[in-house]
Amino acid sequence: MNKLIHAARGVFLWVDDRLHLTKLYESTAGHHVPQSSGSWFYVFGSATLLCFMIQIATGILLAMVYVPSAAEAYTTLEYLTFHQYLGWFLRGVHYWGSNFMVGIMLLHMTQVFLFGAYKYPREITWITGVVLMVLTLGLAFTGQVMRFDEDAYWGLGIGVAIMGRVPLLGEQLVNMMLGGPIIASDTLSRFFALHVFVLPGGILALVSIHLRMVLTKGINEYPQPGMLVRRESYDKEYAAIIKKEGVPFFPKAISKDLVAAAVVIIGILACATFFGPKGPLGPPNPLQIDTLPRPDFYFLWIFAIAALMPDWMESVALLGGPVIIGIILFALPFFNGTGEKSWRRRPIAVLTVILTYVSLGLLTYLGHTSPWSPDMNAWRSAHTPKKFLEGRSPLELQGSLVIQSMQCRNCHAIDGIGGQRGPDLADVGARLTKDQLVRQVIQGGGNMPAYGKNLTPDQVDAVVAYMVSLRTPGVAAARDSSQPGRPPME
Amino acid sequence: MIRTILLLVSLFALGGCDWMPGKPNPDSKWREASETSDFAILYRQNCLGCHGIGQVVSGSIAMDNPTYLSVVPREVLLNVISNGVPSTAMPGFSAAVGGTLTGEQIEILTNGILAKKPAAQPSPLPPYAADPGDPARGATVFAASCASCHGNTGDGGEKAGSVINPAYLDLVSNQYLRTVVIAGRPDLGCPDFTARTPGKPLSNEEVADVTAWLISNRRNEFGKPHAPAQPPLP
Repeated sequence: MNKLIHAARGVFLWVDDRLHLTKLYESTAGHHVPQSSGSWFYVFGSATLLCFMIQIATGILLAMVYVPSAAEAYTTLEYLTFHQYLGWFLRGVHYWGSNFMVGIMLLHMTQVFLFGAYKYPREITWITGVVLMVLTLGLAFTGQVMRFDEDAYWGLGIGVAIMGRVPLLGEQLVNMMLGGPIIASDTLSRFFALHVFVLPGGILALVSIHLRMVLTKGINEYPQPGMLVRRESYDKEYAAIIKKEGVPFFPKAISKDLVAAAVVIIGILACATFFGPKGPLGPPNPLQIDTLPRPDFYFLWIFAIAALMPDWMESVALLGGPVIIGIILFALPFFNGTGEKSWRRRPIAVLTVILTYVSLGLLTYLGHTSPWSPDMNAWRSAHTPKKFLEGRSPLELQGSLVIQSMQCRNCHAIDGIGGQRGPDLADVGARLTKDQLVRQVIQGGGNMPAYGKNLTPDQVDAVVAYMVSLRTPGVAAARDSSQPGRPPME
Repeated sequence: MIRTILLLVSLFALGGCDWMPGKPNPDSKWREASETSDFAILYRQNCLGCHGIGQVVSGSIAMDNPTYLSVVPREVLLNVISNGVPSTAMPGFSAAVGGTLTGEQIEILTNGILAKKPAAQPSPLPPYAADPGDPARGATVFAASCASCHGNTGDGGEKAGSVINPAYLDLVSNQYLRTVVIAGRPDLGCPDFTARTPGKPLSNEEVADVTAWLISNRRNEFGKPHAPAQPPLP
C-alpha cells in the first residue's frame, strides 16, 4: 500500500514539476482575498461566468441539431421544440441561461459600481468588464437572431436600420452584417459564426484578462465609509488588509459563490421547466404583417426608446447614445478613480443607479406592452362595448362600422379594446369639437395619416357623427371656444 | 438494492421530464391563419368587430339575429362573406378580392352562422330580397310602425335617430335597408318586422313599401333625390 502511495506521489510530483500545478493553485484558487469580500454581494461575477459556461454547454448541444441556414433554421427550431426528446428543455435552459446571464451581469456591474471596485488600481478590470458587457449583449442579440422567427427577423431589421444610419460607412456596415443589402441566406450564417465563434471567443479571452486582473490586483475589499482610496497609499493599505485578514479564496471565500451557483442553476432549470423556451413564433416572413415583434427583455428598453423618441432625435440618439455611454463607462475609473468607495457616502452614485434602474424598468415595461404598435387585426376583431352603441342613430352606427372597415381600430381603442398607438376614442367627443374631428380625420397629424383621400364625404360625416357621440353619459360634447355661443353639435 | 432503486427513480424522473409544465404544447405551434378551422376562432378574428354575437353587440346586424338567420339564403351569406358588399363597410374576405380567408374557412363561417338559425321561425316570413314597393304607401307604413321611435318624418325621435339622413342612406345598400326593416336590431332595442306593431307583423308588401320609402329619401349634396348605383344582390 505504501509503495502504491509512494508511486502515486512520485507521479504527482513529476506532473507538478512539469505543469507547476501547485504554484498555479496557490496563485489562483489558493490566493488570499480580504475576508470581508466573502460577502453575498460578491457572488455575481462568478455567477455570470457560470451562466456563460452553461450557455457554452447547452449551445454545443443545440448546435448538433440546429441548422444555421435561412431555409432550415426555423424547421430545426420547430423540430427541437416539438419533436426532439427534451429538445424544448435544452432550448429553455439556453434561453433562460441567457436571461440570467444578462441579469446577473447587470447586478455584478451595479455592485462593482456601488462598491467603488472600479477605482484605483482596478481600472483595467472595469474596462474589460465593460467590454465583456458589450460582448454579452452582442451574444444575446445574435442569439435572438438564431431563434430565426418573426421577432428575430424584425429585430435584425431594426438593428440593421440603426447600423445603416452610421455616416459614410452605413451601407458597408449593413452589407457586412447581412452579407448583402437585405436579410438573406448569408445573413444567418454570419450571425451563427458571430454567435458561436467570434463572440464566445472574445468573451473567453477577455474573461481571462478580467480574472487575471482580479488575481493580480486583488478582489476589492468590502468598502467602509471613510476609507478613502489614494493612489499613493492604497497598494500598501490593501497589502496590509490581506496580511491582517486575508483568507485563501478556496475553500474560505468560495462557499458563498458555490451556494449562489447552486441557486443560479436551480433558477435556470426551474425557469426552463416551468416556463419553457421562447418561441419560435411565426416564421421570418416579411410578408407576414400579422405580427407584433418584440426583442427579448434585455433589449426592450432600446425598443421603447426607438419607438418613443421624436423623429429628429433618432440618428443622434441611436448613434450618439452608445458612444456617450461607452465614453462615460470607459472613462469612469479615470475621472473618479480615487476617494470614497462606500455607497453610503456616494449619494450621486446611488442616485445614478436608482435613476438607471427606474428608467430601464419603465422603458422595459413600455417595451413589453409596446402600446405604439398597431394591432393589425383589431379592425375586424375588436368589438365596440355596448354602451358606445346604445342609443346611437343609424348614421352613428354606420360611423362605427366605417371606423372598423377603414382600420381606425388598429390604432385607436374604444374603452381599451383595440390598438393602443393612438388615443382611445372612448371620450373623444368631449375632447374635440366636430370641426376638429373633421380636420383630424381628413388631414391627419400627430403621427396619424391623412384619410381625406380614403374616405367619402358621407363616410367622414358618419365617422365624425359617431365620434362626437363618444363621451361619458352626461358629459357635453366639446365646444368651439372661439365661438362660445355656438351649440356643440353644429 | 438501494442503488437499483435510486437508478430506477433517476431514470423515471428523467423520463418524466418531457412533460413538465414548460413543455410547449403542440397546439401553441405557430400555424398559418389559413389553417384555422374553428368557427368560434374564425368568427372572433374576422367578424366580431362589426357583427355581434351572443352578449357582444357591434355596429351592424348580429349574426345570431334569429329573424335575419331565418330569411337569409345560404348562398347570399356565402357571397357576402366572400366578396363583401361594394360601397358599404362590408369588405370581402376571400383571397380573390384581397381578403385572408380560404374558401373552406368561408364555408365554416357560413355554416357556423346558419347553425344558429332558430328551429321555430315567424310565419309568414317575408322573402330576403324583393323589389322595392310603393314609397307613398311606405310613408304610411312608416308612420304607423316606425315613427314612434324615429319621429314622424323619420328624421329622428326621442328613442331613435334619423333614418333619412342622406349620409346614412348613401352608406347602406337597398338590401341592407330591407334587411333591417325585416330583422331589426333587437340587440339595440329596434324590433323586427313581427314586433314593430304588437300583434300585427308587417306584410310582404309593407316591408317592400317602407323600404321603398327609405330609398326615396336619398338626397345628393344639393338636396335633390338621387339613387346611388346599387350593387347587385346581396
